[in-house]
Amino acid sequence: MTDTRERPQSPPSSRATTSPASMARDFAVANPTAPAMREKDLGIWQEISWERLWDEITTAAHGLLALGVDVGERVSIHSEDRPEWVILDLATVAIRGITVGLYPTNPVSEVRYLLGDSGSVVHLVEDQEQADKVMGVIDDLPDLRRIIHVEPRGFRDWRDDGRFLSWEELMELGRNHHEQNPDLLDEIMAAAEPDDVITLVYTSGTTGPPKGAMLTNTNFVFCVESVILSDGRIAGNKKPGPDDLILTYLPLCHVAERIFSTWTMVSCGTILNFAESIETVQQNLREIQPTLFFAVPRIWEKLHASIELKGNDATWLKRQIFRFGSKLASVIGRERAANGGLDTTKSRLLDMIGYPLVFRPLLERIGLRRARWAGTGAAAIAPEMITDFIGYGVPLYELYGMTENSAVATNNFHGRNKVGTVGEPYVGTEVKLDEETGEILTRHPGVFAGFWNSPEATEETMTADGFLRTGDVGEWVDGTHIKIVDRIKHIIITSGGKNVSPSEIENSLKTSPYVKEAMVVGDGRKFLTALIGIEFDTTGDWATRQGIPYTTYRDLSEKPQVLDLVSDVVKRTNEKFSSVEGIKVFRLLPKELDHEDGELTATQKVKKNSMTDMFGGLIEEMYR
Amino acid sequence: MRGRPLLVTNYADDQAMLKSTTQTVMAGLFLLFLVCIPLFAPGAIGGGESRIPGPTFLAGADWLKLLSELGIFAMAALGLNILSGLAGQVSLGHAFFMGLGAYTAAVLGSGPGALWGVGLPIWVWLPMAGLIPAAVGIVISPTAVRVRGLYLAIVTLGLVFIGEYVWRNLDFITGGSQSGRNFPALQVRLWREEEALLDLEASGTWLGFLNLSGEGKFYLFILALTVLFVIVAKNIQRSRVGRAFQAIRDRDVAAEIMGVDEFRYKTLAFAISSFYAGVAGALLAVEVGRTIPEQWDLLLSVEIIAIVLIGGAGSISGVLMGSAFVVLLPRLVQDFGNLLQQSAASGGVLATIFDPILSTGPGDFGVVNLSPGVAPGLGILQLNTLIYGLLIIAFLIFEPLGLYGVWVRIRNYWKGWPFTY
Repeated sequence: MTDTRERPQSPPSSRATTSPASMARDFAVANPTAPAMREKDLGIWQEISWERLWDEITTAAHGLLALGVDVGERVSIHSEDRPEWVILDLATVAIRGITVGLYPTNPVSEVRYLLGDSGSVVHLVEDQEQADKVMGVIDDLPDLRRIIHVEPRGFRDWRDDGRFLSWEELMELGRNHHEQNPDLLDEIMAAAEPDDVITLVYTSGTTGPPKGAMLTNTNFVFCVESVILSDGRIAGNKKPGPDDLILTYLPLCHVAERIFSTWTMVSCGTILNFAESIETVQQNLREIQPTLFFAVPRIWEKLHASIELKGNDATWLKRQIFRFGSKLASVIGRERAANGGLDTTKSRLLDMIGYPLVFRPLLERIGLRRARWAGTGAAAIAPEMITDFIGYGVPLYELYGMTENSAVATNNFHGRNKVGTVGEPYVGTEVKLDEETGEILTRHPGVFAGFWNSPEATEETMTADGFLRTGDVGEWVDGTHIKIVDRIKHIIITSGGKNVSPSEIENSLKTSPYVKEAMVVGDGRKFLTALIGIEFDTTGDWATRQGIPYTTYRDLSEKPQVLDLVSDVVKRTNEKFSSVEGIKVFRLLPKELDHEDGELTATQKVKKNSMTDMFGGLIEEMYR
Repeated sequence: MRGRPLLVTNYADDQAMLKSTTQTVMAGLFLLFLVCIPLFAPGAIGGGESRIPGPTFLAGADWLKLLSELGIFAMAALGLNILSGLAGQVSLGHAFFMGLGAYTAAVLGSGPGALWGVGLPIWVWLPMAGLIPAAVGIVISPTAVRVRGLYLAIVTLGLVFIGEYVWRNLDFITGGSQSGRNFPALQVRLWREEEALLDLEASGTWLGFLNLSGEGKFYLFILALTVLFVIVAKNIQRSRVGRAFQAIRDRDVAAEIMGVDEFRYKTLAFAISSFYAGVAGALLAVEVGRTIPEQWDLLLSVEIIAIVLIGGAGSISGVLMGSAFVVLLPRLVQDFGNLLQQSAASGGVLATIFDPILSTGPGDFGVVNLSPGVAPGLGILQLNTLIYGLLIIAFLIFEPLGLYGVWVRIRNYWKGWPFTY
């Protein structure tokens, strides 16, 4: 089955090639005084206007030119989200270079791989921690010429090292270069081609080493038109604009955050607000009250858990009212979910009670009261999670896409929201399922230009007729929406020959606030088992209130009461699935999974292969 | 930012006195109510019975006097709050500075007579009543700055006793313990002319249609001054100086390491606090009319300290709440006593309820004595003192942040809804 739709013709652009940089320039020229970004410094959300932003991008671009960065050369960025990230990214694109983003959590070995594979010539590090990583492997990186550091602290030992320069020094170089070559940047930008690669986005690599997906200007433009500006995505069909606020907190090297932060900003003038750090996201959410909010399931799970925890921890009267409110919310949520996300008479009436009593202050507290669009993607989420948030009044939509197709695949549109599915294909895209395997295939101008340095891998990913193999198995729901079954590589075939999709079971386990990680095992085995990692904060809190003393994560995991707690969660999950899909035995993980230890990818996805290696003993024990 | 109270994009918003529209409107309405109080009296507007609707009893002479006193005590307490609440310097010497302000006003403001007086107009004696104590505060501060905690309390305590001794002996200024002296009237003159431009103590008509009693005018003058003093105190608190004070309060050594000049700022705190005390002392003397030197004693200091502690040290709204509480409490206790007396006399259900705590004559044992000297039990005055002391103890133990802390707790309960934290 194929779904193909015509997209309304967009007017031909007056400029030769549209790039993120050209869009930023055009917006800055039209709205110089409008705020583009805010960053919290010394307790104040300091604003950066569009004029200043473009000025800094220009200066940084000239700085890169002064460092001799040529067309098509790679500039890598290893930093938390901050204005310099976006500025250097757009500056690199402006001079037709290629941006490579690294996750702040990438350990030394991955830094070596990513910088070596991309052949980066200029590398930006945020602080001394990231500088230490690259300096540890600098001898293996012959292409790397200069390292820019943003924070000045801790660089005294490298003061005389010619390879280092500070952000201020880069800007100084840029200013001088700009004075000597006032028109150079305009000339370079005018020469940009639609096929210019603007960024390498490394896939997270749940299996094998990461591969750098090349995204081009064409991909970018298609993504903006399809995802960001698509009709009917947001209630009232009001497109993102300068009145909208975004909280930037997910790693910008991930394609989703790039789309919902940088690309939304340059295409719509939406204001980016940089979260101070991942720990302060909830606090920053309250302050910013964003209108557009994209989060990965992990964040939604955390938000959900914190609502539950705080609500049940409140004083007596508040607790009773909260419980009443959360019951109302789940009824309203189910009512709305059954009606495409829209209100029914019943939900409207219940909302009139719940909104003033609980929902409004609750949404204000979690920072989503003004959210007019909220999204989840990049990993699977339990449908109950979406239903609950819809019930509270967060317009939450699940969408689906991947790096290799510029995140353009399917989306739940306003009023046609089917909870549990990833939505309908965007207008102007071709989405179909492989007849044999059920794998989802996409074909449209957003499909990437291939993997960097790896034509074989590119070939494997593409079908002969130009479709992208997503690696996800899907099925049609009602002929319009797609439901993801699982990653094709993750599907478990038990020794009884039964196909089981583990992620559905894993997500159901993870709806409990006490469960952080779950990995279902059972490929080629007689029955299913699971490795479960507890959420240290909430379980610890629970244990404290039960009067159970504990010291470390491991100690807490080994408490018999905690084992009982989790086994209740497993029991409740088993009730939802058929008996073949039931978890017969489970073990609690003795440590918190970590990116540095190689158990998680940078995006916090469990690496199944290394898990099997690492916890092989535990797994075998369950089948004994 | 509008609709997003926590999204602060500049320091002006962060430090604004009134942070939201609601706050501005509420503060404006409350101020309007305060201004209108004298106009609640019948005939206040254009004669006849016309008046602004409101609780009439507030416009009575006794209540206006009480409210004026409230304002004066609030001013004094604002001064002590800057010294103790913000800069963390304990002071028992506030009464000394109030007395100094009062006698400065008396000497400069009263006309020549039996006692020394220069007879200068109000715009000279009122500011001087603040500046002279401030100057004395600066002179004394080198001694006070060197000690802290209990020792500072003793030093400032000494100040009160020295003051009392000096006032008693300077009888050509103070009139001595026997007769005391009169203080200048609140009259505005350009210089020493006979006819006052504005008499704030005699009743009269303003703007052709506002009929105000002397108490009403006095009250409005005190209200205006209190508002001014509150604004100044708030600005001190939220500016560089106030932050320096608070840094010293929280840890003086750390403050000095951060570059806060401890000596300078402690001296400044003494000076500002003494200025507030002096002006308040002068106005208190003017309001009371005739005072003896013993009025400026330790008890007055303790009363001001009580206001700051009950209200909540370090908070301006707390000081205002504390002043209202401390000044109005005796009146409320007295009214309560009258109510008891009436109900005891009239008999009925209330009398039966109150009887066990009342003591009306010899042989009738109860906590509250309504016939002083005849029956056992506490008189209304003693009751007042007792309640006062108990309250200070209770606040120190249970709510160190004072009435302001209670308010914050109530506010946070609703702010946190539907969660607790």
